Amino acid sequence: MRYGGEGRTRLLLIILIVTSLFLITLDLRGVSVLDNARQGTQTILSPFQKAGSVILSPVKNFLSDVTHLGRTRHQIEKLRADNAKLKASLLNRKNADAQLKQLKSILDLAGTAGYKVVNAKVISQGSSQSFSQTITIDSGSNAGIKKNMTVLSQTGIAGVVKDVYPTTALVMLATDPSFKIGVRIAGTQQIGILSGRGSRSGSLQLLDNLTTVQVGDVLLARGSVANRPFVPGVPVGYVTAVDNSAGEIAQSGTVRFYTNFGGLGVVAVVVGAPVNNPGDALIPPKPVPTPIPTVTVYVTPSPSPTK
Amino acid sequence: MFTRQISLSAPIFLIIYLFQEAAMNQFKLPGGGFSLFVIFALVWAVLSTPEIAALTGFCAGILMDMSQSSGGPVGQWTLIMIIICYAVSYLGYGDGNINGNPVGVVFFVVSANLAAEVLFIASGALLGVTTGSFGQVLITLLGNSAWTLVITPIVLPLFSYLHNMVFETRAL
Repeated sequence: MRYGGEGRTRLLLIILIVTSLFLITLDLRGVSVLDNARQGTQTILSPFQKAGSVILSPVKNFLSDVTHLGRTRHQIEKLRADNAKLKASLLNRKNADAQLKQLKSILDLAGTAGYKVVNAKVISQGSSQSFSQTITIDSGSNAGIKKNMTVLSQTGIAGVVKDVYPTTALVMLATDPSFKIGVRIAGTQQIGILSGRGSRSGSLQLLDNLTTVQVGDVLLARGSVANRPFVPGVPVGYVTAVDNSAGEIAQSGTVRFYTNFGGLGVVAVVVGAPVNNPGDALIPPKPVPTPIPTVTVYVTPSPSPTK
Repeated sequence: MFTRQISLSAPIFLIIYLFQEAAMNQFKLPGGGFSLFVIFALVWAVLSTPEIAALTGFCAGILMDMSQSSGGPVGQWTLIMIIICYAVSYLGYGDGNINGNPVGVVFFVVSANLAAEVLFIASGALLGVTTGSFGQVLITLLGNSAWTLVITPIVLPLFSYLHNMVFETRAL
């Protein structure tokens, strides 16, 4: 604390703090100048983000693999032998193949429900410095994307469009703590509200105290007025735990999202809702156990013993 | 002299900001990851006079607020960075044990980073910014601090060199 704190420094500090408070006030009052400034910054940054996404995709894949090493060890060991021959070509194609697979699944999902979608690549993961869970996609208002549109992954809901720029859009992921979606349980049609918790699991709060929820129940988006922000019928997740506390007015539970948010490469934004509610048509099929083949060997004894 | 220092500092800030937004934000690291730009701004502030540190905090905060992944209103990060950058510089300026010692700089940067995050949560609560469950916030705070502790010693020589280049070049 040897710096004496001259009058000029203190004056500068006060001016800067007042300026920042002024900016906060302007932003909270919804002054469009600041929105335009953010939009302008994003317009400048988006080409660099796209370039960064292309250049760094091999490193990104490597880091993603390292992160999931514990969970996919068995799979990695199984694939290691096959990968030896194909490693060189796979390195270049891995990213494209994964995105193609995701895209195919997304189109299947959207086609089944009759959603009109715009596909987009994820070009940036949001900084976690602000405790928000967002991604940036490479399509924006020029492609017909608007604020508060549903965003799909290959397996279900990914999030909702938070901000739109001409060539990019910011998507709030379903894991974001401020994310909330009205859901219904497939089959029983019970309704509730699902909130993000910052991880792949979310909190479910049922609205009716007479109904019950069970582990394994599948949740689908209930849909919003005029289909924004959420179109109906999108698979959201399944119930992994139920809280039956006596003090609760209605049941609550923990839900695991279908979407793997760490591996999002391609997403689809629903720009047109179906005429008819798809109902439970989009419920993902339960995994079928692979049958183990049995081999029966018949041995016929030879008439004379062999020498 | 002051104008010359600003004209040299501005491109460095912009390049690191661009690198953060275009490259660093591509990775989703465990524990919330880290912000290279915040580390840079804090190192810059620790090594500078309180006056320069306050200006550094203002510029860094404005750039962070302009980022689309910034959760709060414009000005929130600006306010936090002004306070934190001024505070670390005020506490450490002129003390050779702190800004002349790499361990001291790293300690200040990690502490300031943690303080900035806590301030963001506290001010966010007042401004209506949701930050998630207590557990998730705790993981992010610890993860972010751990990453900052690992990364700062690696990048410190470069940032320190850049700071010296801008502020210790004598006019001919």
